[in-house]
Amino acid sequence: MASYLKILLRNLIQGPSTDPFPAGPTFEPDSIRGKIRIDPELCMGCGICVHNCVSNALHLERREDGHTLTCWDNLCCRCATCVMFCPMKAITLLPDWHTAHYQDDKYARIEQKSVTYEPCSVCGKKMRPVPAALLKKLYAGKTDVDAERLTHVCPDCRQLEDSKRNIGQLPA
Amino acid sequence: MDFDKLLKKKSVLSPWLFRINAGSCNGCDVELATTALIPRYDVERLGCHYTGSPRQADVVLITGPLTRRIRDKVLRVWEEIPQPKITVAVGLCPISGGVFREGYAIDGPLDKYIPVDVNVPGCPPRPQAIMEAVVLARQLWLKKLGVEE
Repeated sequence: MASYLKILLRNLIQGPSTDPFPAGPTFEPDSIRGKIRIDPELCMGCGICVHNCVSNALHLERREDGHTLTCWDNLCCRCATCVMFCPMKAITLLPDWHTAHYQDDKYARIEQKSVTYEPCSVCGKKMRPVPAALLKKLYAGKTDVDAERLTHVCPDCRQLEDSKRNIGQLPA
Repeated sequence: MDFDKLLKKKSVLSPWLFRINAGSCNGCDVELATTALIPRYDVERLGCHYTGSPRQADVVLITGPLTRRIRDKVLRVWEEIPQPKITVAVGLCPISGGVFREGYAIDGPLDKYIPVDVNVPGCPPRPQAIMEAVVLARQLWLKKLGVEE
């Protein structure tokens, strides 16, 4: 009886528990998963996100001079599998849950990012410029490597250079 | 003011909602029930009220990817709703097929058969997102009635 009166008194002081949402602000949890965001600075075009996408919402178009990653918002089920599998952490989910829209906007709700390839500074072949953060990770602790220059060296040429550098350091 | 106009103006207060489950997994249906039934997201503040009969409905909320088995039944119930009606596709499935897209039992998306007015994607959408969709649907419904607030 006393505990019930306590709840009654608390409810009287607190007022209604209805969320004032369409008229006022609402709450959102920290972990809420909303719209997808692709970072073209980091996306290498490996396609592991497309391979793992549950609802086939992602589409990767590979061309000679670049690649384009597209996500249709109305097909993405926000499972965040792409976020988990992306080796470059190029995909994030925004906490944007405002999804209601009119039918006219249905096919306009896409996230599309393109990456342009640039010629390799050694052999001239078109290659995706390597992000500086990745090179820093690859050549961590190597002081004799100029990571700045290597952003525009294609994987084949980089392998050759690394082999040439390492051949003198082999244990006898 | 003649009777028709008065009725129009009074009915603006209450666009009644009707739910159709077109083969949904029940996730979106639970969210729809949440928007109406629990006091936190009280949809009745907007004058909306769930009705059990399609003939009383103004806004129809459809969930599910429109399976082959249920397609004709959904179309039959949808035809029974009087004009002007607003169709809201709730969840990914009626909009694009979602995770069931291109399955052998799926005959969607919904707008192949029914003119959809408002979409609210999500798997499932938040109750607040559904509230937003109901607000959009209400505005469109008022426009169709020729009554602006």
